[in-house]
Amino acid sequence: MILRSTLEEAMYTAMRTASVQMPPDVRAALEQAAKEETDPMARRHLTVSLQNADLARAGKGLVCADTGFPLFFVQAGAHTTVEGGFETIFQAAAAATARATEECFLRPTMVDPLRRSNPGNNLGPGMPKVELTFSGNGDGIRIIAAPKGGGSEIFGTFYNMLFPSDGVAGIKKFVLESIVNSCYAGKICPPAIIGVGVGGTADLCMSMAKKAALLRRVGVRHPDPLVAELEQELLDAARRLGIGPMGSRGINAVLAVNIETAVTHTAALPVAFNAQCLVGRRWTAMITADQNITYTGDVA
Amino acid sequence: MKNITLPMSKDTARALQLGDMVTVSGLMFTGRSRFHIRAIEENIFPPLDYQAINCFFHVGPVMRDTPDGWEVVSCEPTSSIRFERYGADVVRRFQLRTLIGKTTMGARTAQALQEVGGVYLSKIGLSGNALRDQITKVRQVFFLEELGKTEATWVYEVDHFGPFFVAIDAHGNNYFEQLAADVSRALPGIERDLGIPADYAFTNVNPDSSANM
Repeated sequence: MILRSTLEEAMYTAMRTASVQMPPDVRAALEQAAKEETDPMARRHLTVSLQNADLARAGKGLVCADTGFPLFFVQAGAHTTVEGGFETIFQAAAAATARATEECFLRPTMVDPLRRSNPGNNLGPGMPKVELTFSGNGDGIRIIAAPKGGGSEIFGTFYNMLFPSDGVAGIKKFVLESIVNSCYAGKICPPAIIGVGVGGTADLCMSMAKKAALLRRVGVRHPDPLVAELEQELLDAARRLGIGPMGSRGINAVLAVNIETAVTHTAALPVAFNAQCLVGRRWTAMITADQNITYTGDVA
Repeated sequence: MKNITLPMSKDTARALQLGDMVTVSGLMFTGRSRFHIRAIEENIFPPLDYQAINCFFHVGPVMRDTPDGWEVVSCEPTSSIRFERYGADVVRRFQLRTLIGKTTMGARTAQALQEVGGVYLSKIGLSGNALRDQITKVRQVFFLEELGKTEATWVYEVDHFGPFFVAIDAHGNNYFEQLAADVSRALPGIERDLGIPADYAFTNVNPDSSANM
């Protein structure tokens, strides 16, 4: 049985680490982009951002001061049991978020949407957002903490209910226009990881887009060759736009285009777009049934 | 690299060109959405000498309360474009010659900056940790109880703060608008190569607004 204290510790540490360490795959992709860019401003946006991440890792600040929305993606196995039941996961997430905020690893950013009041601890209805899914026969839990920055979420979210007659051309046009609009003046903090959901219901579609942007290792293509080809085509197109890091003149507005699909209504072709910013914050904690926690910047 | 002493003079502002990289030294105040809305809609703003403290830094810093006073943990400029509704009014009201933020602002704010002789400076990469070290003193904070640490107005004393680049000059030119025009010119060719017809239109299932006019 996984104890509440173990969950809290793992969620806090994963969230805290995500705020101060850039995942290795994201860092490697940014270093590659820095080599590619020729415009001095484009290069400088990247070298400065990498230096900033180095300072954060050395305990001198944060990877980005907008720590955004506190998100946890939790996956349990068929034989996982939790002290107090699965509801404990949500309570542990709240405690971990409050602690990370208290210790200045998260900025107090979550406010009531109408009153605009700020409780100062990033807690409130819906936050932290915990998505609990089940997979496999194990008895452990995998937690991915993802403080999702405001820029990428606020300026990098689009949804369009297309129709079968709009075709793949419609998907391409929607995604390309969304990249152009969201990268304008560096709104989503490019180079961005673009998540695209195709199919499902509206909420499933956006959820797929978000997970495609946040939870896939940079450079991994979709296993379905048809989807993988579309990903590559859109990435190649984005690199020709003339938009670079932070919206400058350059090549790397986008590090990856990741698409996920779900079956949908025969009358519909829903498409959702959700961006992740250049720092790609996420950190993974794996908990075993005997309370052993291991952490990784990878998402395997 | 040029270091500019704050408050920036009209002459200094008007001599800056798009893309110039600069640092600034002197006094600045911070604010985000709540500052803009309250200043214009409710006439509530910090009682500062805006002639002396004339640089508006768009940011929600991470601040730590310590026994020795407030400490900046990290401060990353925030997206200025979302303040565009109030940007021009705020620039005119406080006669601001320096705005510092992320992204850009729109045509109305650019017009106001041209009138007062001011510039908009945009951030270079993520540099919130280096910027923290260039803040030499946290002078004051306003509206902390009402607005919280993120939306409160902080007054900072800074030394060689930046660099930032001139994204809107004092003559109404915008770096990003020029860049966007180039992107618009590249787009049709890219769409064609993706197999999107030049006259492509998404299926419209709503009342045709042009037919109702």
